[in-house]
Amino acid sequence: MTTQEVRLCGLLLQEHFGDVVEKVGTHLIRCGVLTLRALAHETKLALDLVKKSLCVLMQHGMCTFGAGRRGPAGPVEYRISCERILHMLRYPRYIYTAKSLYGDTGELIVEEILQRGQMTMSCTVKTVADRLTHNMPEGQSMDYSEVVSSFSQLVETHFLQRCPPVASTGSSNTGAVDTPPPAVAQPSEPESHPDCYRVPYINLTGQGKRRRSSEDGEADQRAAKKAKIDNSECGDEGIFWQVNFERFHLHFRDQAIISAVSCKLDQTSGEIVRTMLRMSEVTTQANAAFTQALSANEIFRALPSNYNIARPILDQYLTLLVDDPMEFVGKTGDSGGGMYVVNLHRALANLARATLESVVQERFGSRSARIFRLLLRKRHLEQKQVEDFAMIPAKEAKDMLYTLLSENLVQLQEIPKTPDHAPSRTFYLYTVNQLPTARLLLQHCYKCFDIYLFVDTIQTIGNLIERRLYETKENKQVPPFSTIQNISSKRLLEKSQRIEAILASLQATGAETAQLTEVEEMITAPERQQLESLRHHINKLDSSENQVDETIFLLESYINSTEASR
Amino acid sequence: MTEVKVKKESTDPVDIENRIKELCQQFPQGITDQVIQNDMPHVEAQQRATAINRLLSVGQLDLLRNSNGLLYRLKDLQSASKVKGSDNQEKLVYQIIEDAGNKGIWSRDIRYKSNLPLTEINKILKNLESKKLIKAVKSVAASKKKVYMLYNLQPDRSVTGGAWYSDQDFESEFVEVLNQQCFKFLQSKAEAARDSKQSPMVQRNSSFATSHEVWKYICELGISKVDLSMEDIETILNTLIFDGKVEMTIIAAKEGTVGSVDGQMKLYRGVNPIIQPTGLVKTPCGLCPVFDDCHEGGEISPSNCVYMVEWLDF
Repeated sequence: MTTQEVRLCGLLLQEHFGDVVEKVGTHLIRCGVLTLRALAHETKLALDLVKKSLCVLMQHGMCTFGAGRRGPAGPVEYRISCERILHMLRYPRYIYTAKSLYGDTGELIVEEILQRGQMTMSCTVKTVADRLTHNMPEGQSMDYSEVVSSFSQLVETHFLQRCPPVASTGSSNTGAVDTPPPAVAQPSEPESHPDCYRVPYINLTGQGKRRRSSEDGEADQRAAKKAKIDNSECGDEGIFWQVNFERFHLHFRDQAIISAVSCKLDQTSGEIVRTMLRMSEVTTQANAAFTQALSANEIFRALPSNYNIARPILDQYLTLLVDDPMEFVGKTGDSGGGMYVVNLHRALANLARATLESVVQERFGSRSARIFRLLLRKRHLEQKQVEDFAMIPAKEAKDMLYTLLSENLVQLQEIPKTPDHAPSRTFYLYTVNQLPTARLLLQHCYKCFDIYLFVDTIQTIGNLIERRLYETKENKQVPPFSTIQNISSKRLLEKSQRIEAILASLQATGAETAQLTEVEEMITAPERQQLESLRHHINKLDSSENQVDETIFLLESYINSTEASR
Repeated sequence: MTEVKVKKESTDPVDIENRIKELCQQFPQGITDQVIQNDMPHVEAQQRATAINRLLSVGQLDLLRNSNGLLYRLKDLQSASKVKGSDNQEKLVYQIIEDAGNKGIWSRDIRYKSNLPLTEINKILKNLESKKLIKAVKSVAASKKKVYMLYNLQPDRSVTGGAWYSDQDFESEFVEVLNQQCFKFLQSKAEAARDSKQSPMVQRNSSFATSHEVWKYICELGISKVDLSMEDIETILNTLIFDGKVEMTIIAAKEGTVGSVDGQMKLYRGVNPIIQPTGLVKTPCGLCPVFDDCHEGGEISPSNCVYMVEWLDF
């Protein structure tokens, strides 16, 4: 765990679960494995608060427990999964993917489950149907069965999976808790369960209920009670579902490969690779280097019919894909019209390389990128050779090389001819190591994300500590995030939400327009302007976060795949 | 060889000299003392030595040293005549420069080889230069370093830097222009292939251009004052490969096909990048020059970042 990751985990926990959980979580990350008592003592928090925080983390699958070093009789120890916490920065992307694949229903299902960590099917279906109904025009409502079918689809495609039963988790953990890191043990555990992707039968009929905003909290409570009673009738108690992040990541990876192929070759090649990936989706192991081999005949049959690719053309495309230096697709045999695989690891390595190149290109210019690519291709080169190959004047080339070297994007290897390492008798070879460089950039990405999250937080709630810091440093220029804005932006947001709620309820009851405008005017013009700019800022920050996450995902997958293949 | 075996009875110094010269003519790469001895076994070592010394002193013979001893070689008359009227030191320096060929030789190296004082050498060099026997050429490797070579020689590429240098300055603009033109050519070819709506294989194959084609195109454009060889163009095309814009394939070609070298033909084609600029560098912090120094609570920190404010309000 690097400092950067720990910091980011802390910020994410704080954003999603608040300060206490953040404190417990960060401490657990720093210390690795701890017992409950030690955790409470070291964080100086009340025992029940720590317990609750652990419950929250456990509910979201971020924390696991098992028998400690002293064996099954000793106190239970807790460990936290940093990787799982970092998945939180990808939540928007998971939800968006679900939306693009399964529409609004899918979006809401994934959103609900992500928000609560784990849920029973019946509960999810009800909540989602209610929410959908709420957004529909008066008189219409969402049928439970539709949501159930969406849910089943998500399960069939493995985007959702059952949480492993608690008892078996405990027993399987006891033996293995010391050796495997939980991040590895975690995803394999639910899969080992035979019923992992079996949708239970639930007897749930009816339609989503409209929640009246005018109804007070008591009614909500009543509804909650009723929901509890409903639950007992559905027949799926104790079967909880969670989001299968691994599956989402595979989907992202496939999308990245497809888009790379479409960019490099053309749309049709991309479509062929998409078909290949879809065919082997369920049969290929998660971290396999290749997909299952597919014959050209199979691929031909599985191609979408509206694509109109004749068989000889398909063969040509496949040959082109195999010939391409990027080697996205490989040929393994000649049976069945040729057996083809998608080189998943190779594709990831190529994508990661392109990412590194693009970072160098954007940060240091295209000539530095030329040097960087040159070194990637030729492995080791002397300075003179770099100048000659890249056709860059010696002075500039030297400058660029040294800049890249100081940024750790390029490494220098000394090979002395004599044991005294005299500079005149030493070869100085420049080289690029892709894996360490990718790791370095990943840390950069985390830091970037960290900054955006942080600024986001300052923007929305206003950070008083920071403000105090400014006031003591009087000699500095005027603080950019004006202090007035900092204090009020949280209140302003709350106010606008309140007013929106009132407006909605007024509209629902059919109030007059005059009344509506009156309420609307409760937000003054400057306030509205401030609100507008605040939204603008937050949108910008959020979209930046998503863009950074794109890079994070590629680099992470590359690093994981390289480590897996070792 | 039969001639060599013929033994001459004469011991006259002039005859010996002539015989040595004949031998030297037979073996233009030089003869060793052993060869002369074999040829004239009856001649005493003393006589042989005087004959050789005379020839050396009048400048008709060259004394060289190689791995297995001393070599005598006939000096070509032209160069002998050129240095006529100059003293021994001048001749020596001239010889050293001549041996250096078109790579040239640095004045300090001349000093080491000739064992003459530097002032003397400078005088001689000036003298030879004014006679237009030698010339000074500035090397691209070190701009301060002058190398000397014979006047009529074309300097080696390693000295002038080839087509990419004018007055030992690297012509980076020229290289850039060529780089762009080559890419334009390949790209238009690739586009034409894409628009042809033929089968994908044909499309790919027609997007390839051989290095010869690119060379011809550049020559016809007439953007270059100097004559570029096909290797020069290949160097340029290589930079395009390192730019990630071009791919190269080598195919076997029939001997004698236009543009083939050693039965190989290099094919180039313009390609698209596999990704758009990655997400990280689309955001301001990914490109920030002070990113590494940015820490919360530090002099540069996210909360007082002026760039961030400007970007947010943009």
